[in-house]
Amino acid sequence: MPARNQKQWMADPNLQRGEWVDSRIYSDPEIFEEELEKIFKKTWIPVCHESELSEPYDFRTTTIAREPVIVARGPDNTVRAFLNVCPHRGMMIERRPAGSFLEGQPSGNPKRMTCMFHAWQFDMKGNCVYISREKEGYQDRLCKENTGLRRLRCEVAMGGFVWVCLDDKPECSLEEWAGKPFDCIRESIDAEPLEVFHYHKAIINTNYKLWHDTNSEFYHDFMHYHNRVTGFNDEYFARKNIGFEHGHVNVTSFEVNYDEYEGFESREELSFPKFPPNQWFMIDLFPGMNFNLRGSALRCDIMTPLGPNKVMIEFRGLGVKADTPEERQTRIEHHNSIWGPFGRNLHEDLIGVTGQGATMNDGSEPRRILHGRHEDNYIHDEVGLRHYYDEWGKWMDRLPSDPMQKYTAPAVAAE
Amino acid sequence: MSWKRVCSASEVAEKSLKQFDVEGVPVLIANLGDEFRAYPPLCPHMEERLEESGICEAGVLTCSKHLWQWDMRTGEMRGEAEKPLLLYEVKQDNGDVLVNIEKELEYEYDEETDDDDDSFWD
Ligand code: FES
Ligand code: FES
Ligand SMILES: [Fe+2]
Repeated sequence: MPARNQKQWMADPNLQRGEWVDSRIYSDPEIFEEELEKIFKKTWIPVCHESELSEPYDFRTTTIAREPVIVARGPDNTVRAFLNVCPHRGMMIERRPAGSFLEGQPSGNPKRMTCMFHAWQFDMKGNCVYISREKEGYQDRLCKENTGLRRLRCEVAMGGFVWVCLDDKPECSLEEWAGKPFDCIRESIDAEPLEVFHYHKAIINTNYKLWHDTNSEFYHDFMHYHNRVTGFNDEYFARKNIGFEHGHVNVTSFEVNYDEYEGFESREELSFPKFPPNQWFMIDLFPGMNFNLRGSALRCDIMTPLGPNKVMIEFRGLGVKADTPEERQTRIEHHNSIWGPFGRNLHEDLIGVTGQGATMNDGSEPRRILHGRHEDNYIHDEVGLRHYYDEWGKWMDRLPSDPMQKYTAPAVAAE
Repeated sequence: MSWKRVCSASEVAEKSLKQFDVEGVPVLIANLGDEFRAYPPLCPHMEERLEESGICEAGVLTCSKHLWQWDMRTGEMRGEAEKPLLLYEVKQDNGDVLVNIEKELEYEYDEETDDDDDSFWD
């Protein structure tokens, strides 16, 4: 194939609509803002794991679509979520990333969230419990009963993750949203309490959807040199992509032969409860989370889009809470040898997606990003990407292959 | 329980507060100069440890958090306070401070109400 002139380069590829997307969906600032409004403020987002706030009065702060969010465990052990915004004059109430309210703050009291600006205080249920010089300033016009926090929908589910939805009336319940794609590992991750043992985060110059793509497609095996030279067998290629309602995808399991990985050992002994030895399941949730259970360790990526070409990814590794110290150590080694910052895959994935980010700037001429591989839904089939982008088009009411047009179903139906 | 030794009188400086553990019951001892007083250790307002937040001046105890005040001898409310201080009986014996603990005194703090019903989201 000869190189192409500008006109040829810009022409539609010889594929059906739905088999490519236009790169402006990764770089256009207006589209990005719209994604926050139409997708991230409307869907269920896992913000952390319940083991990261294991004691009453523990809390964590985060953001969803730039809105500051705090999750806190109450004295009744229930985890609740609130906007981390003071009802008085809008200050961010809690500025620590995580901690406990059990000890008082300099301007507050034990067991309360305190806004340090004018010392208003709130309990773990979001009630306003103290307004400084309340009667003097508000007489009988405004009182604590009117100034509670903004509570958010929050559920602990699917292995103990804490899910928050900014919308009081989400399109569907969390169970309807994510239940089916979790079926493949639900028994194992819900059998007993889990615990986060690994956390790191990275802020990467790429679009969040591009990271999600690398989590969903296996065609980039060709980049993962170590996987390619050691890990492959027929079963590896016999896995399938399965699409679910709402844009979610599963990659089915196979038995990994760790003996064939140089320096690796079987993970059988520390398999997750009720999980067949050395299996490996993957769940890609719309709009950008990934759950990956490889025998003895669960990995979870949660993406927070920061800009069209900037994403924060939080990586967590989880094991069984009841682990002995020795078991935990082995589990950590299993996790890190694949997924740690110096593992087999992660750094290579990061090179891939930042390379894409580097070519897609605001104002770059639109590029066609091809998702047209068909291989009977096996892992090098790009069906998972097609499924995801069709869902994206529906939420955005934009056509992924020509985002300035309204959404219409693609010629090739999303599988 | 009954009369228990808490500390020796010299352990609590004049015009100051100090918290002790008396067989599992936390007790706050105040030295008024001529007399001692014993209270439960937390501010009746919002569970603050008075040993840290309390200021003793002219026979008045002030919690520095939100300026609730009490007469240190009687526990009566002064200023901003909305609840009185509770007191244990105290006596001195041979340089020791003793308190009479029938049962642990505790304040009732506002119960957090529950809004965990589905109609909340309507
Ligand atoms: S802004 Fe929070 S108390 Fe004033
Ligand atoms: S906590 Fe003591 S006055 Fe409020
Ligand atoms: Fe990868």
